[in-house]
Amino acid sequence: MTTWVGAPVPRKEDARLTTGRGRYLDDIARSGLLHAAMLRSPHAHARIVSIDVSEAERLPGVLGVLSGAEAAAASQPIRPLIPTPTPLRDWCLAVDRVRFAGEPVAAVAAVDRATAEDAVERIQVAYEPLAPVVDPEAAIEPGAPLLYPELGTNVLWHDVLSYGDVDGAFTRADGVLRERFEIQRYASTPLETFGCIAEHDAGTDTYTFWTNDQRPGFTLAILAESLGVPQSRLRLVCPDIGGAFGNKRRPAYLLTCALLARKTGRPVKYLEDRIENLTALMHACNGVMDVELAYRNDGTVLAFRIRDIADEGKNLVSPTQHNLIKLGNIANGYRIGAIRYEPYSVLTTKCPSGANRGIGKPFMCFAIERTMALLARRLGLDPAELRLRNYVQPAEMPYTTPTGSQYDSGDYPATLRRALERFDYRGRRAEQARARKEGRLLGIGLATSVEPAGTNLASYELITGRRAASGSAEAAMVRIEPDGQVRAALGNPATGQGYETVVAQIVADELGLAPDEVHVARGFDSLGTPSLYLSGSYSNKFSVTDVGAVVGAARKVRDKALRIAAHRLEAAPADLELIDGEARVRGVPGRGLTLREIARTAYADVLGLPPGEDPGLESRHFHSNPLAAPVDERRRVRSQLVFSNAAHCCLVEVERRTGQVRILAYLVVHDCGRELNPGIVEGMVHGSTVHGIGAALLEEFRYDEGGNLLTSTFMDYLKPTALDVPDIDVDHLETPSPFTPLGAKGVGEGGSIPGPAAVANAVEDALAAFVIRSLPITPERVWSWLNLAGETGARRTR
Amino acid sequence: MKPAPFAYVRARSLDEALGCLVADPEAKILAGGQSLVPMMNMRLARPSTLVDLNAVAELSGVDAAADGGLAIGALTRHTDLVTSPLVRERAPLLATAAAHIGHRAIRNRGTLGGSLAHADPAAELPAAVLALGATLVAAGPGGRRRIAADDFFLGLFATALAADEILVAVETPPHRDAAWGFAEVARRAGDFAIAGAAVAAIPGDVGRSARVRLVAFGVDDRPIRLTAAEIHLGDPALTPDAAAAAGAAAAGCCHPAADVHASAEYRRHLVSVLTEQVVREAAGRRAARREGESRWSQSP
Amino acid sequence: MISVRLTVNGRAVERDVPPRRSLAEFLREDLGLTGTHVGCEHGVCGACTVLVGGRSARSCLLFAAQLEDATVTTIEGLTPAAGLSALQSAFRDCHALQCGFCTPGMIVAAHELLAENPAPSREEIRAAIAGNLCMCTGYVSIVRAIEQAAAARRGGSLP
Repeated sequence: MTTWVGAPVPRKEDARLTTGRGRYLDDIARSGLLHAAMLRSPHAHARIVSIDVSEAERLPGVLGVLSGAEAAAASQPIRPLIPTPTPLRDWCLAVDRVRFAGEPVAAVAAVDRATAEDAVERIQVAYEPLAPVVDPEAAIEPGAPLLYPELGTNVLWHDVLSYGDVDGAFTRADGVLRERFEIQRYASTPLETFGCIAEHDAGTDTYTFWTNDQRPGFTLAILAESLGVPQSRLRLVCPDIGGAFGNKRRPAYLLTCALLARKTGRPVKYLEDRIENLTALMHACNGVMDVELAYRNDGTVLAFRIRDIADEGKNLVSPTQHNLIKLGNIANGYRIGAIRYEPYSVLTTKCPSGANRGIGKPFMCFAIERTMALLARRLGLDPAELRLRNYVQPAEMPYTTPTGSQYDSGDYPATLRRALERFDYRGRRAEQARARKEGRLLGIGLATSVEPAGTNLASYELITGRRAASGSAEAAMVRIEPDGQVRAALGNPATGQGYETVVAQIVADELGLAPDEVHVARGFDSLGTPSLYLSGSYSNKFSVTDVGAVVGAARKVRDKALRIAAHRLEAAPADLELIDGEARVRGVPGRGLTLREIARTAYADVLGLPPGEDPGLESRHFHSNPLAAPVDERRRVRSQLVFSNAAHCCLVEVERRTGQVRILAYLVVHDCGRELNPGIVEGMVHGSTVHGIGAALLEEFRYDEGGNLLTSTFMDYLKPTALDVPDIDVDHLETPSPFTPLGAKGVGEGGSIPGPAAVANAVEDALAAFVIRSLPITPERVWSWLNLAGETGARRTR
Repeated sequence: MKPAPFAYVRARSLDEALGCLVADPEAKILAGGQSLVPMMNMRLARPSTLVDLNAVAELSGVDAAADGGLAIGALTRHTDLVTSPLVRERAPLLATAAAHIGHRAIRNRGTLGGSLAHADPAAELPAAVLALGATLVAAGPGGRRRIAADDFFLGLFATALAADEILVAVETPPHRDAAWGFAEVARRAGDFAIAGAAVAAIPGDVGRSARVRLVAFGVDDRPIRLTAAEIHLGDPALTPDAAAAAGAAAAGCCHPAADVHASAEYRRHLVSVLTEQVVREAAGRRAARREGESRWSQSP
Repeated sequence: MISVRLTVNGRAVERDVPPRRSLAEFLREDLGLTGTHVGCEHGVCGACTVLVGGRSARSCLLFAAQLEDATVTTIEGLTPAAGLSALQSAFRDCHALQCGFCTPGMIVAAHELLAENPAPSREEIRAAIAGNLCMCTGYVSIVRAIEQAAAARRGGSLP
């Protein structure tokens, strides 16, 4: 039997996407479509005294204007994914108060976007400015301005999670390394911005949404609750999605369009412009982390104490996730006996923080891998050697970390050794020494990581004390049509991962077909796509969860087809095999039945079915990853389920006079288990690594003290271009997970997690006399570090 | 992100365009549009009339002047400055500066005149024409006038052009045998410079020393002459040693502002570094040419 | 409204447009050519790149009214009647796209490069596409694809 899984099959999507025949949200036409624009707050924090929309309503071409007060009267507050201790009401538009610059205050629907923007300028709002709170540490202080006075604090979650004998480990330690790290706000900024079309059918009181929302299951639940409409009267469709990376979600915009559609009787589209996208959609959470590491002089890491302040901005949808998710990689790849983690989840008057390729884990990895680099320096050990002394060993797999994460598989020492060899680590160290003699500053950075995949939502019980949602699950459908052709669908809308191809590969293997013979539905349509509340593109879950749904659905259909064929061929199902679209009796050439003939029986000649067999040849499968479990009595939880790993090696040169950093070489060796499509996997590794490099060197949402975003265009918010990144070399090990149906593990977030640490470690290695505590590493900052190093005369040589 | 409403005029002649400026004081000239249109899309610029010059054929093209210089039409695109053999021969500094602008699609549309009239203090072409000592030709209701580059840039996005004038051409002086250098530091290739420097050292007539013009950009409200640094750079003194002295003097000549990409202090530092670098570059070019010439004269 | 006559993908087009209608909107909404994507509307991301007179241009920074007598080519015009062009095939073969949103603009930029320089170096390729942001691929496979397409168009193969 041909095995398509594991082959670098060219993507089915690409014929349409390379020719401009993709169908993205903005490509969808609806008769009578109106275009919405939003009035957004110019203040970080203010009371809304009054809003006058009359002049906007009078503008020709304007069909409807919606204010926050009107939205609050016509809809219910938006349900949070993670409830706050005191329920906070948050509508689709600001009501009474704005809490970040860029928060939507009113919306206009007009015949075209330009007219809608003209109307927005005519809305008069009187604001009474309030004191902003921009810095999360200041937000914790007593007397800080409060976003929600009814909460009495800006802190949404503070806890102390202690695992193992932390104090004992620190007492026994030969030394303690203390350091403070910060991470900035940045984002993956998918090239297509976020948006939706909402249409209301007054006759049936049903709503249809077209949207590039990457998490349709959760969004449908919110829409139903907030609109006060049964979910049975909602339809949500996802077309091709132009990238997402966690950013593409904002149920408020769908609600605003739905209310405008109901008001005007016309379909309404809203699509963010780029400034709105950068100002108001979602930023990766910034934060401050205090790390204490207890070690023995031989380099053995004994314990960590970590205090972690996460700046949620005005995030009421998923606050606390940026802390909680770090439990998945807080031990990274190391055998660490004891961990104390003290999270603060803090509201500030800034853009909502949210999911962004790795959520919190890039910062966690940055802190741990920077600490390891500093420990190596302190102990005079090679950073590679220090890591090798602390890794979880392959023989220990599956290995449970103090916080309850179970590392399912992998060979961390072998991954690093492969990387060192391929990178010519020793040769490059010699090159570095030679360059230094010539006055050139070369630096080598290592960072190694675990890459968790599949979130177990039960972990939120740690915060709320009760379980609202749990597990990691997805739904899929496989159907052999009456003509014998195969169709499949998945509850997770692809956002660029090539699911149409990979699902076809999987189904093809199960049904004895080629991927070209399996049609996989584009995107998502709640009317036809099987789905769960948990459905969607998030948490790196495809390999560990979605694949199970696809395999399950395909096997159910295959088994049924074989039962029907066996009945017709008067053979035992076990004696049949599916090859080339035909069920054949093993060892009996010529005796078989094509899928077309089996389908005809299933759909048309139903009296020919085996006794007790239902007509039809379609199956839906809902797969829950079996590793998901509730929080245990010691507050341990498998917050994520399956773990890939990687080693990154980075060579940089620092230009001494200007502080400019150039990456001369970059290698990734990774292990995501069985690679379902190596071509797609390699692309994921390249892309996620560049997200890490961008965060390390270029990208930053900078706010001034008044809470105004200073980097709100692509001229100031700097994405890496083709000239800013190197040719990334990729190699891999393949240690299949015993806990996923095909042995695959997560690969979508891999590079973004260790990338920032690898680059920072390399630059610090080049400077050799300065500790890099924050990102991005701008030329000016490098220059100032070089000056400091020169003044203190602290230049070290390796 | 859509522009506010405006009227559009596709001018067929310079006179028609000038007439539009008189008729509507809020009118704006549209040339390449690569700076103006983003500002319009963000509604930071709201001209009531957009006067499109692109169909005025007389404003394009590069002509060789009899004195060995060039006359370059204001509508000449950056890409054409980069690739034109005439520009590369007679004003290589200008070709090099143009190559640093944005990316290919931007250079294909952006124009020399548009960049100069916009007068972004961090832009490359204003610095280049200032270093070259070029002459800018403006047309207005009363006819044409010629403005020395030294007198053209008045401040942040401000020039000597009157509201009813249009920049129509740039004349570069004879440039044969000139030594020159150009360098900038930007966060990414194609971005506006955090700081930059340009130098042109034009050989004087027999018995007279060279004219050396040293310019910095991105470090003041306009591109500026580094006169205090220029005094280190007489013709015989266009040497690596002089480069260091000029670099040291350069920082004191500018008044940089801080923005999201860099502090004033860092910009001042970069001016020194880049000044030294461009002078070394120029010195290297001169040395290479002299070596080439002497080899030429020795060959049989 | 401004009357404008131009040639788009080889076909003569005549329309009345409001002055503030961008070329990108004109192509997408008036002509239904939705292969040209809009990613930033301030000329940085390159998603809306088309050819005007054979040269790449940001269609978000041009007004349709300006295009009188112009020749515009979009991704649809660079697509053969059947199958894929050399660049399109190479993009597919090299996995040089993920979400595909940048791909039309990227292929337009690559087309301009290969028209002028049939054998570009990697550095020249990177420079040619540096005005086109891709958030998915990290550019590595795009550079490979353009190298491969260049080789295919020269009738050879990569060393």
